[in-house]
This record gives sequence, structure tokens and C-alpha cells, in this order.
Amino acid sequence: MSHTSSAASPRRLLSPATGLPIALLVLLAIAGFIQPSFLSARNLQDILTQAAPLCIVVIGQTFVILVRGLDLSVASVMATVAVIATAFNTTDNAVLPQIIALSLLLALVVGTINGYLVVKRNVSPFLATLAMMTVLQGVRFYYTQGAPGGSLPSALRFLGTGQVAGVPVNLLVVLGVLAIAAILLSRTTLGRKIYIVGGNPRSAELVGINAGRVTIFCYVTSAVLAALSGLVLVGFVGSVDNWVGRGYELDSIVAAVIGGIALTGGRGSPINSVLGAIILMLTFNFVVIVGLPVQAQFVIKGLVIIAAAALFRRMPA
Amino acid sequence: MYLELTKIEKGFPGVRSLDGVDFSVRGGEVHALVGENGAGKSTLMKVLSGIYLPDAGSIHLDGELRQWRAPADAIAAGIHVIHQELMLFPERSVAENIFLTNPPRTRFGLIDTSAMVERAASILERLGHEIDPRTKVRKLSVADQQMVEIAKALSADARLLVLDEPTAVISGREAELLFDRVERLRKDGVGIVYISHRLEEIFRLSDRITVLKDGKLVATVDTKDVDRDKLVAMMVGRELADIYPPPRKFSGVGKPVLSVRNLKSAPRVKDVSFDLFPGEILGLGGLVGAGRSEVAHTVFGSEASEGGTVELAGDTYHHRTPSVSIQAGIGFVTEDRKGEGVMMLMDCARNISAPDLGSFSEHGFLDSPREEAVAKEEIARFRIAIPGPRYMVRNLSGGNQQKVLLARWSRACHRVLILDEPTRGVDVGAKVEIYKFIRELADSGVAILMISSELNELVGMSDRIVVMREGRTMGTLEKTEISEAAVMQLATAETGKEGRAT
Amino acid sequence: MNGAKSFRAISNPPLAIASVALLVLIVTGFVMSERFGTFRNFTNLLEQAAPLGVLALGQMLVVLAGGIDLSIGAIVTACAVAVAALCDLYPELAPLILVGTMFLGAALGAINGVIINRTGVHPLIVTLGTSSAISGVVLLYTMRPVGGVPIWLEDAAYGATLGLPNVAIIMILAFALVGLALRKTATGHALYAVGGNASAATAVGLSVSRLTLLAYSASGFFAALAGIYFASRTGTGDPRVGDAMTLASITPVVVGGTVLGGGVGTAMGTFVGVALVSVLGNVLNYMNVSTFAQWVVQGIVILAAVSIYVDRSRKL
Repeated sequence: MSHTSSAASPRRLLSPATGLPIALLVLLAIAGFIQPSFLSARNLQDILTQAAPLCIVVIGQTFVILVRGLDLSVASVMATVAVIATAFNTTDNAVLPQIIALSLLLALVVGTINGYLVVKRNVSPFLATLAMMTVLQGVRFYYTQGAPGGSLPSALRFLGTGQVAGVPVNLLVVLGVLAIAAILLSRTTLGRKIYIVGGNPRSAELVGINAGRVTIFCYVTSAVLAALSGLVLVGFVGSVDNWVGRGYELDSIVAAVIGGIALTGGRGSPINSVLGAIILMLTFNFVVIVGLPVQAQFVIKGLVIIAAAALFRRMPA
Repeated sequence: MYLELTKIEKGFPGVRSLDGVDFSVRGGEVHALVGENGAGKSTLMKVLSGIYLPDAGSIHLDGELRQWRAPADAIAAGIHVIHQELMLFPERSVAENIFLTNPPRTRFGLIDTSAMVERAASILERLGHEIDPRTKVRKLSVADQQMVEIAKALSADARLLVLDEPTAVISGREAELLFDRVERLRKDGVGIVYISHRLEEIFRLSDRITVLKDGKLVATVDTKDVDRDKLVAMMVGRELADIYPPPRKFSGVGKPVLSVRNLKSAPRVKDVSFDLFPGEILGLGGLVGAGRSEVAHTVFGSEASEGGTVELAGDTYHHRTPSVSIQAGIGFVTEDRKGEGVMMLMDCARNISAPDLGSFSEHGFLDSPREEAVAKEEIARFRIAIPGPRYMVRNLSGGNQQKVLLARWSRACHRVLILDEPTRGVDVGAKVEIYKFIRELADSGVAILMISSELNELVGMSDRIVVMREGRTMGTLEKTEISEAAVMQLATAETGKEGRAT
Repeated sequence: MNGAKSFRAISNPPLAIASVALLVLIVTGFVMSERFGTFRNFTNLLEQAAPLGVLALGQMLVVLAGGIDLSIGAIVTACAVAVAALCDLYPELAPLILVGTMFLGAALGAINGVIINRTGVHPLIVTLGTSSAISGVVLLYTMRPVGGVPIWLEDAAYGATLGLPNVAIIMILAFALVGLALRKTATGHALYAVGGNASAATAVGLSVSRLTLLAYSASGFFAALAGIYFASRTGTGDPRVGDAMTLASITPVVVGGTVLGGGVGTAMGTFVGVALVSVLGNVLNYMNVSTFAQWVVQGIVILAAVSIYVDRSRKL
């Protein structure tokens, strides 16, 4: 008496679990073929270091997309945190606690407001986070009057550029955040709740899950990770300008999609998203290696986005 | 108008949906199409309306061989299907919905809005209904929306109308109006195919009946030549008596586990009272729209209540939320299995553990091996046809999905189990199993509140029945008083004569 | 507004609210500064609002059909650069180049439509991709403003007819035509249907893919108009001109009552949205509010708008 329904279940053309590593290897292989020095440990480390802030942000974006949302405010959060970090204009680490506290506070406020708007006021995540991005931008520019600047505590420089036992600190941060995120999402009840809510918020409510709380948690996580990424980025660059972090919001969505996430929610993983971010970064570097002009990276990025989304999407039944 | 389908074959990977089926409809006839879920009715209608191309067989309209390459071809030939899932545009007006593909135009080729509204009004009038054609469709009741669908078909001069389970979402007065319209259309010479599980309606409306089973034609008979038992036997292939487990001798003794008094919840629940005892199956009957599901949601806590009291084992139970109810031992298998119940993106084990994650975790970390082991037990216990606990639930048949839900809730909640349409969309074999499980659960002490629109099922399964009408409880039927007629009488009784549950 | 139109506003809450807000703003403007109420200011406003207006119109069509176009800015840039570069090389072919650029815009928009139709990938992602690719191609051609446009084109861009700026006339015409098409043609009604319930649209025989293609091509066409305008005004093609335009085109659409999920919205509403955003900027300028603070206000306006309007389908 076992008969399955005749409607075909949506299948993917390609699963990210296999597709991503393959894509990565293929890219590396081609690059290495054209320019063997591309595969040097030094170069690869450089690329990963450049990718670090994006990797951190994409992990946060993953949380939000999993619960059927989007976070367009992450770049603004990064930039505002960069302003906070340089606001004290000193290399003395005594101000570090204040910087961290302010950044954390900012992230909590932004994330909570984003989450509240989406959950309680039923605002579209696209618009809610877009509005938040604009408001933050205004606040930040108002504070700096369009002329940000100042020195950073040396600890942040270390965060961005330092090394521990030969491994760049920012990479360690990425790995640390990734490990926590991956374990949380795949092994804990909170993680399970996130997937259930993303799959169907109504079903989640009916099994006793507080979908609103879970969703707000994801927005807060995204904001916090954006803040962390901002600190890493400003630490890496060493200074701040008006548009630091610009483009990270769209790039993080793109990276997550390359990593096979479903914009409809309930499907995706932080590891795949990070792989997507690395592939995105690789394509940027690829362009330079292959000898194409720098602007070509935008073209390649565009093509990669569409190709990845097309390959990883589920075909309708 | 004479449409004839001959020796239709249609298959999909792994399944042969239609196997040499003959079917015909004349203008001015109501031809009922019956059969269990999966029998092939919906596939046959999709072939008839051009959504599917048959693998073999032919379609003749008025003696001419025809082939539909797309639904538009069938529509152009005058064939219209009113699906269960209404295909309307909620933010557009009634008139806009009716005339979307063929609006009246002015001299310059632009749409003549006032003519559109006028014509819509006249079609609706022909159907005996007064809806303002400028109203947005989302503001209409489901029954009125169905009228708009029929009006759409009429605006395009339909010659054949297929009604797919039209009374699944309406009942009572609205259903009467529908039957009235069907009569009018029949007199106008329109051919009507009427698909329904409600045998009373079939016998009332149809001239002929076609029975399908497992993709094959069982028989096409004149309605007057057959009676209910014969029809069911053709559909099901076995005697009615075998379907339901033997009733238990039960009388409402002891203390109720759930006591509901004067429950009120906008917009549908007005005044509901009943008692639920451990170990019994209490049926909650009434017409569609009576507010039964809403009562269930209000008791469970997934809808807000505005008045009245609920007592759980003697203690007042206010501030209900699903989470609190689950903790208190109340489970709820909702009506909408695919939309709300089953988690389509997850495997069987995850579906089963969902309301009770706490018991599968320690310090917040999930115990996957235990989750799997428990799922395996439940799969065995409910005889779920699935290769293993890590397989995706969305690939299962309706009956198996329903079993997963039963496993989920019966595992987590041991005091009260609310079942809303537990066998909707489930094939007969699985139905029988599910009935057995429900009875076993009741025997083990669980109090079961069962909502069902299938009178047969309600009468066959329940120990007692509470009947609702338009948001109020009208009366309770004890074991000896239970019959389909008694339920219907209370479900359609005048509001003046209300009786309260004791 | 004549009688029928006011009735429409009243029966349409978002439009009514936006209209009231606009009136409040206008009154505030009058109170704040005597320069606000001048005809000069009015025509300036119209002129400044024109490019935003046509872009919002294009975005609205896409959103009505259930999608979104994040490549608008890139198409504006591509067309601006194309016009300027080609006119510089072949000034005598200018009229032909103008027409050709409009086709270019429509074609780029059509590419969006084709990819969305064929691959089924979410419009957000597709238009992000094409945006990047198109910007990249433009940047490969030039990193700095290039080219030039014939004097007559520049004059036309700055000029006025019957007292109203030419570009404003074009914008108003565009709104009128699109509004008419949406309300009075079968295609217009079909667009609402596709955005409202794509599966029902297919069931009644509408071609979702054809209408999607149409919407994105229209959006590209309007982006081309804006691009031509910018090139004519500045006399060059600037590869960064469209950068901020994409997100800017969304605010008036949303404020004007168009729902991101599709199927709901009017040309009139978008026009009020454009007016609201433009007048808001104007009034804030007269109140000496800094650009930075204006950003904050903008963000709050978006939030206010979407908190009030209910999106029942919530596809984005």
C-alpha cells in the first residue's frame, strides 16, 4: 500500500554540496593554469583575508534569508561602526571597551528595529532594511558632517591585519564565527526552530514556536555580525571614509545565493554561504590574474550570480 | 452540445493515472463524476479542459474530432472548469475578474469600463445574485467568489461547466443557491460535470453518474438506477460496514478533561459550549462555515478568544497559546495539511519531533540519533509507507502525511487531541488505518475532538456529537441519538431552538 | 482633479494618505518660505522630478507585474554613455542615435525579462546580476565622462514649451499614457493579473512570460529616456550617473501605494509619490535641513508609507 504522490518533487539541477567545491576547484585550476603564482600560499591567504569581512557579513545574511527575510542595512551598519571606531581618534586601546559597547548597542538597536518592523508591522524586509540603511546613512553623515576620519585603536589594526602563529587574525575570526553559526544552525533547538520558521512560519506557530522571536533573533544576529565585520574591515583598511563597506549588502546576498540559499526561506547553510563568498572574491581576483581590466570583474560577477542562481534553484514541480 | 472522451490514457513516471476511460456529457445534463482520491477524476478533467494532452484516446465535440493544445483551446470551445482552488484576482473588482480576457470595448479599442460593470451585473443577476460588480474580490465570501467564477464562465458563453467539489467550501443556504443555479444552467442547455464526495448532492442533482477507481472506468449509470450503498460499493470495492472500527459503549461519565463554556471569538465563534471526556471521540459537526475549525484554534490558542471560559481538568485555562497548550498535553492536527501541518522542507523525523524539541535536546543541543530512533518507532507504529526517517515528507501520499501528523501529535500530547478533517484527501485504505489509530488512541485514554464534514465519518466514528450552527452549539447527540439525519437537523435548525450541551 | 479622480483617491487609502501628506507639505512650503510658492520654483521642481518620475514609472510597471528592477540605474548609465559617445562620433546622426538608444534601453530591459522567464530565478537576483554586468561593460568602455551632445539637444533639455519645461511635459505625458493603458487596455488589466496571481493568470490563458517581458522592456525604455536626459543636460556621458537611481526609483513607487508583491498600484499613485519625494526635498532645502538629515527623513518616509499600506501577498 505504499504509493507516493504522482506530483514530482522539485529537484535541483545541481546541489550546492557538490557544485560549490567543484566550482571552487575549477576556478582555482584555471587561475593556476594561467598564472601559477595565483596558487601560492601567499596569494591565497591574501584573497581569503580580503574576503574575511564579506564572509562574516554573509553568515549574518544567511540567518536572515533563512527566515524569509533580507538585510539591506548591513553595509550601513559596517560603515557606522567604522565611524565609531575612529571617532575617538586615538590608537590607545583604552577606548576599546567603549567602541565595542557602542558598536554592540548599535547592532542590537538596528537588528531589533528591523526585526520588529518585519514581524510586528508586517513590513517587507526589503523595504524595512532599505529604510534603516538610509536612516543610518543620514545619521552617520550628520555626525561626521561628511568628513569622517581619525585613528584606530591598535587592537583593531591587529584584528584586521595581525597574525597569530602565522595565521591572519581576521581569518581566525571568520572560522570562529562560522563554527559557532554552523553548530548553532545544525545542532541546536534554536537552529532547528530557525529552519522551521523559515520553511513555514504558520506551521511553526502551530507547533508552539514563537516565530516572531526567532525572526527578530536572526535580524539581530545579522546586525551584530555586520558590526563585527565593520570592525574587521576598518581594522584592515586602517582608516575610514564616507562609503566604507559600500556594496556589501548586495554582495552578501549575492554570495549567499551563489552558496545555494533559497530566498524563499528554510533552506541554506552558513558554510555554503561562505563558500559562495569566497567564490565571489575569487572571481574578482580571477579577472586581474587573467589580465582582464579591473572593471571586467563586474561583468563576471553579474554572470556568476545569474548562473549560480539558475543552477541551484529548484525546478517547479 | 455533446462531448465525448473515448479510451483516454494518461500516465506519469511511475503512475498510470487514466487507463482507457470513456466519458461523455450532453448539453442540459448534470453528469456526476465520483471516485476516491487518486481515482483519476482530476486528471480526466485536466484532459477534458486542455491542461493535459492524453497519451492515447480521442475527444469529440459535437461529432468532430478535437485536440486541445492548450487550455485556451478548450476555453474557446466553451469548456470551463471551476476548480476547487479559485483562480481569482483578489485585488481586482468582480467585473474586472469576469472580463479579464475579453472585456467590452469602446470605439477606440479601449476598455469600456461602464459597459463592463453593466454586463457583469446582468450576468450576476442571471445567476440570481446581487453583488456590486465594483467590489474587490477579496472582500467577498468564499461562496460569492465561487459565483464570480461561474459568472466568468457564463460571460464566455460556456457550453460545458465542470464543478470540482463546489460544496467543499460552502454549505447550507449558499449550497442551496448553488444547486438552484445548476438547475438554471441545465435548463439553459449547459452541460455540467459535477465532481463531489457528497453523495446526497449527487443523488439530488445528477442525471448520470460515472465511477472511477484506480484510473479505470468502473461504470456509467443512470442515477435513478442506483442507490447509495451500490454506489459506495462501486467506488470503494468493499462494504461500508468494514470501514469504521466497532463503536465503543460510552457515556459521558467521570470528569471532563476539557470544559468549554460560552466561547466567543471573532468573527465566527459566537457562543460555544461542550464537555470533552477522557477516552471518548467527540465529533464536532456542522456545516462548512459554522465555525468548528475556529473553535479548535481558539481552544488551542492559535486564535484569540474574546469571551467565555475553558477549563482543563478542572483548572481555568486562560491566556492560551499553542506552546502552552502543547505543554498542557493538547495537540492539534489542523485542517490544512499541506499549508500548515506538514513541514514540506523537512524529513519525517524532523516533522515528528517538531512540537516537542525539548524532549530531544539537552542544554539546547539536539539529539539526532534519538530523534531518528523515535521516528522509526512511530513509522512502525503507524505503518507509514516511507523508506526511512530521513526521507522527505513532501514525497509521501496524503494518507501517509496524515499519519506523520498523527504520530507527531499523539507522541507529544496525551490529554487531548483535536483532529480537523483527519481524512481529507486520504485514500480509502489509509482512511481505514487512520480510523483504527484514532480509536486506539481514544481507548488509551486520550480525549479526542474530531471535526469532520463527512457525515458518514462523523457518525461512524463518534461516541457523542456536538453540533454547531453559525457559531453556536445547537445540541449534543448521545450515542443512541446519533444519525446522519439528527446531525443535519441540528446543523440546519433555526437559531431560535438552541439546545446547550450538558 | 476632476470628480471621478477624487472618488478614486478616496476609495484608495494609500493614495488618499499620500495626497494628504503632499498637501500638508505644500502648505508647509508656503509657510516656510515665500520663494516656495513661485512659478519659478514650481517649474524647477518639475524639471528636477522629471527623470525620477519616468524611472519610477518604469519601476512601477515591473513591480505591478510582481517583480523588481534593480538594474534601472545601470541601464540609465549605459544609455547616457551611449548617447554621448555616439553623438560625439556622429553628430549628424543624432536623431537616429536617440531612437537607437531608446531601443537599447528596451533591449537591455528585455534581457532581464528573458532571463527571468527562462531560468525562473528571482527577479531580485537577476536584475542584480544584469546591473553588475551592464555597469561593468560601461566601465570597461570608459571610467570617466565622455562624449558630447549636439547643441540643439542640450537646448531642448533645458528648454521650455508654453512655460513648462520640456522634460516635465514628457514626464507628464508618460504618466498620462501609462495611466490610461493600465486602466483602459486589456494588456494593462492583464499586467495587474500577472502580478496579483500568476498561476490564476496562466489558468485564464494570459501569457505571464509575455507580460513580464513587456514590463521589463518598458522599464528599460524609461531608463533610456532618463539616460538621454542626463546626457543632454550635462553634455557628457558619465559612467556613474545612474548609481543612485535604482534605489531612488523605488521610494516614490512604494509611497504611492504600489505594493511590492505586485497586482496593486496606480500611475496616479506613483505620480503623487514622485511629487511627495520631490516636494519633501524642496521644502527641506528651504528649511535649510542638511542633505544628511534629509536622508534620515527619507528613510522614515519609506517606513511610514509601508507601515500604513498592507501588503497581503508579501513576496519580497
